[in-house]
Amino acid sequence: MDNGATMHLAVSLLPGTSDLTGEPEFRRLVRFVQQAEAAVLDMVLLADCAPASDSGTVNNPMPFEATTLLAALATVTSRIGLVAAASTVAHQPYNLARRFASLDIISHGRAGWNATMARSPREAANFSRPEGFSDTDFRRRGEEYIGIVQGLWQGWDADALLFDKTGGRFHDPGKMHLLDHKGEFFSVRGPLNVARSPQDTPVLVFSGLSEPDLDIAARTADVILLDSGSVESAKVRHDDLKRRATAAGRDPDAVKVLTNISLAPDDSSATVADRLETQFRAKSCDGFIIQLSQLSVFDDFINRVAPELRRRGLFRDTYRGTTLRSHLGLAGGGEQ
Amino acid sequence: MTAQMKLGAFLWATGHHIAAWRHPKSHVTAGIDIGHYIQLARTAEAAKFDMIFCEDAAGLREANIGIASQTSRSIGFEPISLLSALAVQTSRIGLVSTASTSYNEPYGLARTFLSLDHLSGGRAGWNLVTSASPIEAANFGATGLKPHADRYERAREFAEVVTGLWHGKASGHDGHSFSVRDPLDLPRSPQGAPVMVQAGASDVGRDLAARTADVVFTAAQTFEEAKAFYDDLKGRMVTYGREPDDIKIMPGVSPVVAQTEAEAREKHEELQELIPDDVGVALLSSYLSISDLGRYPIDGPLPELPESEGMKSRQALVVEQSRRDGLSIRQLARHFAGARGHWRIVGTATQVADELQARFEGGAADGFNVMPSYFPGELDAFATLVVPELQRRGLFRRDYEGRTLRDHLGLKRPA
Ligand SMILES: Cc1cc2nc3c(=O)[nH]c(=O)nc-3n(C[C@H](O)[C@H](O)[C@@H](O)COP(=O)(O)O)c2cc1C
Repeated sequence: MDNGATMHLAVSLLPGTSDLTGEPEFRRLVRFVQQAEAAVLDMVLLADCAPASDSGTVNNPMPFEATTLLAALATVTSRIGLVAAASTVAHQPYNLARRFASLDIISHGRAGWNATMARSPREAANFSRPEGFSDTDFRRRGEEYIGIVQGLWQGWDADALLFDKTGGRFHDPGKMHLLDHKGEFFSVRGPLNVARSPQDTPVLVFSGLSEPDLDIAARTADVILLDSGSVESAKVRHDDLKRRATAAGRDPDAVKVLTNISLAPDDSSATVADRLETQFRAKSCDGFIIQLSQLSVFDDFINRVAPELRRRGLFRDTYRGTTLRSHLGLAGGGEQ
Repeated sequence: MTAQMKLGAFLWATGHHIAAWRHPKSHVTAGIDIGHYIQLARTAEAAKFDMIFCEDAAGLREANIGIASQTSRSIGFEPISLLSALAVQTSRIGLVSTASTSYNEPYGLARTFLSLDHLSGGRAGWNLVTSASPIEAANFGATGLKPHADRYERAREFAEVVTGLWHGKASGHDGHSFSVRDPLDLPRSPQGAPVMVQAGASDVGRDLAARTADVVFTAAQTFEEAKAFYDDLKGRMVTYGREPDDIKIMPGVSPVVAQTEAEAREKHEELQELIPDDVGVALLSSYLSISDLGRYPIDGPLPELPESEGMKSRQALVVEQSRRDGLSIRQLARHFAGARGHWRIVGTATQVADELQARFEGGAADGFNVMPSYFPGELDAFATLVVPELQRRGLFRRDYEGRTLRDHLGLKRPA
């Protein structure tokens, strides 16, 4: 297990971070993710561009939907975690749970779901909900949804599959569990028709939290992404989330809190490393998620900042396990 | 050059035979092994198949857990994620996944398939189904399976919205089942639009296909059934202002092929011997959309049945077969456990090629969706024995001529 001594690092692939090389989009993304893997980052976050284009600022969106992109990237990488955003409005919980369970098997235990808790009017309008959702409905629905997905991910015990050809027993019927969920918004019988995840369950990542979402996140999330702010305000939010996790009966270390850092091209590597070190040593977070305005910034990070962090003993230099949970120091899965 | 047939490689975990997973040479961990699928996809691509085809169900296939546990069908990959992975591990072969209009929304589905199309450079297709299983329905609400006609009404609107989005229509849609405001936020498909496939053969199913499909996947046992379906569907297309050649009709076929006929028969018998009676009867029940077939004497005839709200076309096919051949429940169960209602040919490469040629040249099929009884062995056998024989006869391509699935299928690129 991770002893908390080193920081977790993720990078977010935003739509619109295009370059002008004319290289086919997918090739370019592969190169980017392989670079992140060579730099031993915990995970890459794949944004889904539908909601983002609401802002009207994205003029060069990625031509891919995040879960399909994740599957494709999974086959050209071997260690780095791949977390795809997918909305609770665009998918039925059974379908979403199933997609991610499948992605987790395809990636050999490196998949995560980024559930954004923010409402998107655009999604409602394109998914036959022109009237949208009220805040409280959306929140209650979201919590019910998450519970279903996590429940479905646990429908098969780790040793359920027997593969016993001669005895004619493919699985142990006692080790497959119906969910039988009947709630306010959904009714789902289960189980999933996908085997158990290699890391027990795909990693659940929350972002876009507002105050009333914090308890839901503290109860259920593996990773919580927070916006940047001063070290002091980050520390307050970090401590608050860990307290809420403890109150929910969880080990506070079972929830990793990562804060956003945006890198500008002109910062020196020592300045960036200083900034990360200060925030990390102040225990204002468990790590960082790097937002890129331009891909060249990432090269600087990989080539200069990451080695500096390693030199200071703040970041690992090899992967110790093969699953995303193992990178994050989270319990679960066969291998740590 | 004579017309050439289209071939799909219908992948299904351990194989299409219900007992395939128990075969000594089947790859039993197929449902959790992506490497296995990459290997199958490459085999199919090397043999120049038009496409890989995946079926789907958003739920277990069998309600009785005791029976389900004696089959390999309760676990597998979700097909869109599977094909997205295969998209970058192959370069030419088409990638078709089934997805239901009953449990998805058109905007999301259109977007996901378009993404697969971009990942594969224009090789994606969507097989539209309306879903007939109450087990699936229970994963999507408390009300149970919707009536056949309602599912197809929703499917018709769904298909209209999806094709509109793929063709870059900007206008909003505000219909009976769906409302969509925006155009898709992904660029247009490299092949104009992903290929529309449809499986469903009832009267309303055929009408929907005649209106929207590029490819139709169907099940037929005899030449006469296949021919009647073919003529009927092509005939319906005129109503929608389409040319008969705009749809490729590809019935399923499950060949068991070997160097000699005796060897092929032996291989087939070996699989048949592995079917437990209760598993066979349960599978038959699901095709008949009834739950209690087990209470009738197994060596007696099929009882009279109420008309199905599930798969109307498959129920009719089973009933028709039982009357035609005077089969008992046990015989029927064993028969359908082999290829699930699809056509089965057991023999040498020459015999298999003869049969395929006869249906193709007899105007009963534009090609075939090949359903190997177990993997990887029977796909390898088809690729190494039957494909070269078809090529020798000029009935199948020796190499890909184009890049996209539409190219392979000889389909027009939508404007
Ligand atoms: C050849 C064939 C293949 C089918 N494959 C699927 C499938 O993979 N998944 C599914 O849910 N339904 C499948 N169906 C069922 C139909 O799409 C539809 O759900 C059902 O209502 C039967 O339609 P029909 O009555 O028009 O035949 C298939 C039907 C046929 C004829």
